[in-house]
This record gives sequence, structure tokens and C-alpha cells, in this order.
Amino acid sequence: MPAEPLIQADGLAVGYDREPVISGVAFSLEPGERMALLGPNGGGKTTLLRALLGELRPLAGELRVGSRCASVPQTERSQLDFPVSALDVAAMGALSALPWWRRPGRHERERAREALGRVGLGELAGETFGRLSGGQRQRVLIARGLVQDARVLLLDEPFSGLDRPSAEGLEALLETVAAEGCGVMIATHDLEQARRWDSVLCLNRNQIAVGPAEQVLDLEVLEATYGGAIVELPGGAGRAILPPHHHHH
Amino acid sequence: MGPTTPARIWTNLLLEPFQLPFVQRGLIEVLILAVPAGLLGTWIVLRGLAFFSHAVGTATFPGLVLADGLGFAAPLGAFAAAVLFAAGTSAGRRRGGQDAVVALVLVGCLATGVILASDVFGSGAEIETLLFGSLLLVDGGDQALAAAAAVATLLASALIGQHWLRAGFDPTFSDPAGPSPRIFDAVLLGLVALSAVAALSAVGALLVAALFVLPAITARLLTERLLSWQLLSVALVALEGTAGLWLSVKTDAPPGAAIACVAGAAFAVVGAVRIWAPRRATIAAGVTDAG
Repeated sequence: MPAEPLIQADGLAVGYDREPVISGVAFSLEPGERMALLGPNGGGKTTLLRALLGELRPLAGELRVGSRCASVPQTERSQLDFPVSALDVAAMGALSALPWWRRPGRHERERAREALGRVGLGELAGETFGRLSGGQRQRVLIARGLVQDARVLLLDEPFSGLDRPSAEGLEALLETVAAEGCGVMIATHDLEQARRWDSVLCLNRNQIAVGPAEQVLDLEVLEATYGGAIVELPGGAGRAILPPHHHHH
Repeated sequence: MGPTTPARIWTNLLLEPFQLPFVQRGLIEVLILAVPAGLLGTWIVLRGLAFFSHAVGTATFPGLVLADGLGFAAPLGAFAAAVLFAAGTSAGRRRGGQDAVVALVLVGCLATGVILASDVFGSGAEIETLLFGSLLLVDGGDQALAAAAAVATLLASALIGQHWLRAGFDPTFSDPAGPSPRIFDAVLLGLVALSAVAALSAVGALLVAALFVLPAITARLLTERLLSWQLLSVALVALEGTAGLWLSVKTDAPPGAAIACVAGAAFAVVGAVRIWAPRRATIAAGVTDAG
């Protein structure tokens, strides 16, 4: 019997103040699946993630989120100044399960330490969050999600600003987390990376396509997703996306 | 009379002002205030509420003028004004225009206070005390109010401090199952309002930030962990308050202004040392390398 999907959306529309930002979204995320979320800036990636987190209610359609979702946001500048250790941040994930007046105790901190070990940061538990590298900070936030008992991790462009070794390490970690049964959804701009994962969801206000990368990512879909023309760069340097045509008079 | 050794002269100089009963009352007041001011100060800095805390103190001014003119308890008028101010600005905070809304309401409060004072009640000489406080005139009621603010701050910090920390660290973090972060934030704003009112007797409506912001940002330069920061902030408020009080008696300056000067000087010194010390360490390391 196949496992229940972690997330199932059908005809989903989400937006602010009754004005839909995205519509026609239909997909399911299975346990162990890594799904890339592709789309231009302003295409609605963050809006979809916020809907999955329960921050925005669907304006139309259906959204079934069967298990807890944890968000792994990009680090804000203000957070670098925060007087918290990696362990403190990971332990924040335990707050949801505690009564409102309880702070994370010995048991919760033990779980946070364990989660930091799982993301490869056991040694740095006591380090100030702002002193960690970008890749390490992403790992701490993933550990926070694990402490939350989340079965779905939602990452908003986690690779932006990372150097190559950090990015590769983070990708390997996401593979491990998925292999343990989590669903992982990653908003990204990197098509090559997206091709290595299990599926892609292309979003440009409307859902353009969803499915395994090799079946879905053709020129037509990419042009519709990014709203421009894809051109072959000279000298085999790859492809680039041209912005939409300007009208000359 | 004992022999006048240099040590004795110094002891006399330092302790003599504190032998006066009204100075002792002021000292007790400022030591009690150190708890809510130091503790809340760290949250004020962490949550970007420095301008709000200054403004909420200033916004009590029309409440104080009203209380003075109509003859009811000053803290009541101040607290009512502070709560109205907090409620009026928190709507703006949610929409992101925090500072602009705080400034807008602040100007309204000050203008109302000035008109009430000059045209309605003719408050005259009391205005200075209302604006700058008078630590040397505090009574048991002021101390009780400060103690209430201290207890409330300690309780709230122990029970829901973890939510203030999480919401500050990650404002996008949401937990649809749990209580709304807005409730915890409202408690924080309410506590800042209450404590600012309690501090009015010491530093007045215009200098609340001297107790709530300056010591906390000074202590922040010295530590990277929340708990040590909080303890250090409380200690610093107590120290600067005591020193300011002493200075005020010695120089006849208003106590609130004296405390503000001491707190500002402490921040300048610690800040300068923080900038200078790493450089000196680098130079020393360079010398070692060269040798």
C-alpha cells in the first residue's frame, strides 16, 4: 500500500486580501520526495510556502497538509546579532509541543543536541548563531525543524550565497533527511540542481507544470515559467533566459 | 571624631549623600527599578522597541498633566495614557509602519499635554518635574509601583520570555497550533508601558530611555548570551542609578538628567574600549610576530 502523501493540493489558489497571487496549483508531496520549486521572483514561490505553513488560507481549491511543516528561511541580518547559540535556535523547535509557559528544559535541549548531531553540527552546539557560516546556519534551522518533529521541510532558496562545498554538503544533508522519510520542498533558481531531485513544480502565478524533472523541464515549460525566451549561449556555455520581449514602436 | 586619613575622606565623600533619608528613598527606588528596567531593556533592544520605550514614556505626559490638574493619582493618569499609546501604535506595528506610527502618536500626545498644561490647567512649575522626574521626592507608593513592575517583569520573562526570543529571532515563524505571537507581544508592550510609568518618578517622561535602553545596549557590548546580558543589564542600571543619584546630590542637577549622563558616559567608555581593545590586540599580535 503506498504511503499517504504528506501534502496534497488541488486547484489551490492563495493570495493576500482576496487577491490571488497563485492559482491552479495541484500536486502531492510524498514521504522521501525532494521537490524543487521553480519560478521567477514574484512568481508566488514564497506565497505557496506560506500557505503550506498555514500562514495563508486557501482562497479556492483544496489543500491537505497531513503533517507538521517546518520552514527553513534565509538568515536575516538582524539574526546575526542575536545572543543565541546554535543549540538555543534548535531548541526553539521544541516550543510548539510545550505548554506556553514552559521553556525548553533538559529533555528538549538533549533532543536539540541530537538534531544538531544529525545535521553534522554536534561540535558547534555552543557557538553563537551569528558566527556560523551560511551553510551551517541553514543546517541549524534544519535541526530546528527536526526538533519540531516536522515531516516536511520547506526551504526558501537555501543555497543562495553558499560556496560550493557548503552547497554540496547541504544538498547531501537534504538527501539524507529525505531518505529518512521527510518530504523536502526547495525553492531554487538552480535548474541543474533541480534536475537531480525527484520532481519539480514550476510556478509563475499559475502552476506551469509538475512532475519528474526529465519529463517536465523542456524549453516550452521553462519559457512559460520564467516568462522569457531561453537561448543557447555561444561556445556551449549553457543556456540563458532572456527577459520578455520589449515592444518597439 | 577620628583621624582624617585620605581613606576616610573618600569614604565620607562617597557615602555622605546616602545618609540623607530622602536620598535613601531615592536609592531604594532606583535599585528596585533596576530589575524591570534592566530585564526589559534587553527585550527592548532585541525586539527593536527602543524608540517605542522612549515614546511610551513621553506619551504619559498628557496623562500626568490631567492627573495633576484634576487631582487624581499621577500613575493612574500616566498608565492610562501609556496603555492608550501602546494600543494605538500596535495596530501600526502589525502593518510594518512601526516607527512612523509611533512618531505620529507621540507628537499628538505631547501636543495634547502642552495644551492641557498651558491653556487648561496652567500647570506651570510642576511641568519640569513631570518631564524630568524627581528621584529625591519619591514615596512609598512610588516604591510599591516599582516593585509591582519588577515582579510582573520577572514573572513574564520567566514564563514567556522564550516566545519573545523566538518571535524576535524569526518573525516569520508560525505555529498555527499554538497561541498567537501577538498575545505575547502585547504583554511585552504592556509591561514596557507599566515599567515606564513606574520609572516616571525617577527619571520623568523624557528620560525613560536612560534606564531602559542605555544600560542594555552598554551591557550588550560585553556579552553574547541572553542570561548574562540580562544579569549585567540589571546590575548596570543599579550601578548607574546609584552613581547618578550621588552626582545629582553633589551637583544639584536633576537626578534623571544625572543618571542619563552617567549612562551615556558608561556607554561611550565601553564602546570606545570595545573598538580600541581588538586593535590593541592586533597590534600586540603583530609585534609578537615581528619579534
